[in-house]
Amino acid sequence: MSKVIVVTSGKGGVGKTTSSAAFAAGLAAKGHKTAVIDFDVGLRNLDLIMGVERRVVYDFVNVINGEATLKQALIKDKRVDNLYILPASQTRDKDALNKEGVESVINELKEDGFDYIVCDSPAGIERGAFMALYFADEAIIVTNPEVSSVRDSDRILGILQSRSKKAEEGGTIKEHLLITRYSPNRVEGGDMLSMDDIVEILSIPLIGVIPESGAVLQASNSGNPVILDTESTAGQAYSDVVDRFLGEEVALRFIDAEVEKKGFFKKLFG
Amino acid sequence: MVLKGEMSMLNALYVSDLDIKNLTTELTKKRDEAPQFFMQSPLIVDCNELGEKANDLDFNALKKALLELDFIPVGVRNVPKSITKDLSDNGWAIMRATQEKGDKKKAGVSSKGQSKKTPDPNAAVEVTQVEPTIDSVTVDRPVRSGQQIYAASADMTVLAPTSAGSEIMADGSIHVYGAIRGRVLAGARGNTSARIFCQSLEAELIAVAGRYQLLDESKTELKGKPAMVYLDGEKLVIEPLAK
Repeated sequence: MSKVIVVTSGKGGVGKTTSSAAFAAGLAAKGHKTAVIDFDVGLRNLDLIMGVERRVVYDFVNVINGEATLKQALIKDKRVDNLYILPASQTRDKDALNKEGVESVINELKEDGFDYIVCDSPAGIERGAFMALYFADEAIIVTNPEVSSVRDSDRILGILQSRSKKAEEGGTIKEHLLITRYSPNRVEGGDMLSMDDIVEILSIPLIGVIPESGAVLQASNSGNPVILDTESTAGQAYSDVVDRFLGEEVALRFIDAEVEKKGFFKKLFG
Repeated sequence: MVLKGEMSMLNALYVSDLDIKNLTTELTKKRDEAPQFFMQSPLIVDCNELGEKANDLDFNALKKALLELDFIPVGVRNVPKSITKDLSDNGWAIMRATQEKGDKKKAGVSSKGQSKKTPDPNAAVEVTQVEPTIDSVTVDRPVRSGQQIYAASADMTVLAPTSAGSEIMADGSIHVYGAIRGRVLAGARGNTSARIFCQSLEAELIAVAGRYQLLDESKTELKGKPAMVYLDGEKLVIEPLAK
């Protein structure tokens, strides 16, 4: 039974695409056949983050319009087996997406035996974001520890609960909160919202906290999903997220402020 | 079929000027303070201050302007006898006059505002029989930013927090077993005995029967604490929930 998961946030620049790439790569690395779809038509980024931008021939909109088959458009990842990327079109806009077209692509992926279909949502609450979430079974809400991001996540949760296909049919989308760019030291210092504050405001279950890490930018620039960088804290935190998503109990890491390391002499003399 | 006398809350528009444009501007301002509260609300037009000048008031234009503002003009009050037939032929109900008829008429002095919402709730109430609200609406999920929930002719119970940027309204009282962070409007159709109860008062705006207050402008020490909001005369009172 395949699952459609939307990665969304409302606000832009919080790490949706980074998280989609990492999450999809993580699921695939665990042996699940996974497709990740870029819904950000006109501002495609997923292909860059995944390092496949030079392999894009056909895109999502071509498939919707019947100009290419799904097989032609899907790009198979060279690093991780079972991982496929469906890039967005850069030359079109979000009006090119329609419910029927998106549904037929998702259904075809399901028929092709994909276990997970990850929809990387564009920012905003307009057509692109709406299309990305409409067919979702589960949602990962990406939030930064910052008030406007939390507010926008709240807004998108409202839309998930009222306008998604699941909601229209009287069901509910399973929601997961993913906090990214978390900096425990700054939380300690009081200039960042704490994990507990965010969970309290949004009142949905937390699936993970990704620490602020230079590895993320580096991974994006080099076109490698950060989860493959197993040395980095962010990569490890994303691995934990995938494990939790698959039902494992994994304790949260990287959420406590680092205590200043005591030097040798300080240790010696107190 | 049942025909019952019922209490209904009406807003009254006190017209003191024949210029409908002026009146529309003033009223738009008033309405935009609480558009949800006024939306599709029945309104009666009081012509007490106009006196005989009401003969010259263009009631058709007034009706059109009110409808455009999303009010539903239902009746007129304190109009000269000479035009009542014309008005009722045009679909206006002729309401019972208030006692203060003529009191405010002072030659040469015009009131500052062109229109105002009735200051005394009783002045706008036509009481015949009390029909208690018995319905209730239960919301069991958080009310998110951008969401709007209205419980018509009912109390509302929310079993989760409400978010900043959300709006909940009920014609009766509102009970929230969680924090209120958005706008909360009880007694949306003018029920002055409606109250708001919450476990943590963090709302942006609270209102009972149209009397509203921004929490940031309130001096209450109950922010973030369990609280109850009710109306004492014209004043919103915020009190601790548990004493």
